[in-house]
Amino acid sequence: MTQSHSEIEAISPIWNWKITSLCALFLLFIGIAAISFGPINLSFSRIIRTLLGMHGGLTGPDRTVLIDLRLPRALLAALVGAALATSGAVYQSVFRNPLADPYLLGAASGAGLGATIAITNSHGNVYSLLPIFSFVGGTLAVLTSFFISGKFFAEPQSLLLSGIAVGSFATAIQTYLQQRHSASLRPVYSWILGELTVANWQILSWSSIYILMALAILISISKQLDGLMLSDEESFSLGINPNKLRIIAVAAATLATATAVSASGLIGFVGIVVPHLVRGVTHRVTNRNLLTIALAGAAFLVLADLGARTLLSPAELPIGVITAFVGAPFFLVVLRRRRTVAS
Amino acid sequence: MIVIKDLAVSLSGKEILKDISLTITEGLWSCLVGPNGAGKTTLLKVLLGTTPYSGSVKSNGVEVFRNQKRNVAFVPQQPQIPQGMTVAEYVMLGRAKKDGWGNESAKSRDFIAEVLAQTNLYGLHKQMVSHLSGGEMQRTLIARALAQEPELILLDEPTSALDLHHQIDVLNNLQFLQKSGVTIVSTMHDITLAAMYAERIVVMQSGRVLADGSSTEIIHSAELRTAFDNRINVFTLDSGRPVVVAKKDGK
Repeated sequence: MTQSHSEIEAISPIWNWKITSLCALFLLFIGIAAISFGPINLSFSRIIRTLLGMHGGLTGPDRTVLIDLRLPRALLAALVGAALATSGAVYQSVFRNPLADPYLLGAASGAGLGATIAITNSHGNVYSLLPIFSFVGGTLAVLTSFFISGKFFAEPQSLLLSGIAVGSFATAIQTYLQQRHSASLRPVYSWILGELTVANWQILSWSSIYILMALAILISISKQLDGLMLSDEESFSLGINPNKLRIIAVAAATLATATAVSASGLIGFVGIVVPHLVRGVTHRVTNRNLLTIALAGAAFLVLADLGARTLLSPAELPIGVITAFVGAPFFLVVLRRRRTVAS
Repeated sequence: MIVIKDLAVSLSGKEILKDISLTITEGLWSCLVGPNGAGKTTLLKVLLGTTPYSGSVKSNGVEVFRNQKRNVAFVPQQPQIPQGMTVAEYVMLGRAKKDGWGNESAKSRDFIAEVLAQTNLYGLHKQMVSHLSGGEMQRTLIARALAQEPELILLDEPTSALDLHHQIDVLNNLQFLQKSGVTIVSTMHDITLAAMYAERIVVMQSGRVLADGSSTEIIHSAELRTAFDNRINVFTLDSGRPVVVAKKDGK
């Protein structure tokens, strides 16, 4: 019997639009909740009126809370969540390692060092310098990892190893600086645990340019990333230049990560938890779900930030505590499942 | 036709291939045989175009290094097995050059359905490749190569993970393809099977070609025994088919 293509067609869609749309709806729902709830609860209908510029919107302090605090914060959380989750998924494809995360190549440690230098050397407004220093630090660390890893073109694992070495070195310098300037310990650790309290329209506008650009690049090459899950010889025979594609993918993912880190500090586990969650639901190759992963990452971090703001209200938890609280057990479950499958 | 002249390959300062001059004839099945470390896999990678070399390796007059205009399928001995990809999707990757990445035409899906049936994979097409047995994975790799509709297929030990029954299935599939005009170059440790299927055998040892000729000619040659340090015996069955076996304790 000759099989028809319709049977193949039914099992090989590139996007699962139902799940992608569900993620988008969930993000919208969580986003509205995030700007409504907090120490001061805002009316949903008045929020909508305010956003649409209609009569009967919020006024006075409530309006300031919405426009200047909650809205940029929720949008930044969404952007950072999308950036970290997508970068994590791409790193997992590129390094053929399901436990790879966006901070692997030294971006986190480099950004941490940059932030520490900013905090220990600034006397005035730290937060205006912090994003720039951490962005430069993160990017320099990744570039150093590339530079040291001469064999990157032959073996991606060597880039991973040099990333770990550069990361350890940057952390060592950071610790030294912290010890020299003990007064900086609290702000540095606060930043390391991740925070979105500094979110404002200025940070949001520059970080959105880099993050959206990086996400557009990654989503446009997502189908080709299938090829990087094969050996270099196989992907070459299928028409891919694996080295070129790997560089584009890693550069875009690093740009997104470094921007996210410089805007919000080190928020861990998003890059691992979200791609695996989406893959668990869709049973699809991670890189074929990049749009879904970006939306799910955005929703996850907006939800985590809502938790960070409201669980100990009026006090705030660092958002990294929430993501780690969910992420660390999840990471162990993934590891255990991998071991079970392997055995 | 691929013409190799004075080929040499050095990796990390070590000479892997040297003084190789060969011609790979179009439409024939050529098999590279020799002990481990003879340079067979490196020669396959040179023919694919991924390994830098000195000398000249020209396919229809054009150097093969980094030349992706050719449609060459490569079946590795130890493939990277992606997580979260079904057999049908994995085989569909073979159509990437024809359709563009991620664009799966109706014609390609028809073709994939045929290839899956031909390689006895149809019932497994929804299964994840990471859950396949060694033999099923090997057939999936061959199916992906067939999906490419290549002009040349390079196979590194295509039968090493298979039981005898599946070895014959895979080799019959390849022979069917070769008879339709596709050039095949493979490495194979089983010289008896190599002589059964390949029209031409290239004997390699320590990065050099010791002998090159028709299967019937090479199987009884002194060079084949030399390549394996005289530790093999060649018998001829009543049917006239040669059988190569290893000598026990070198005797």
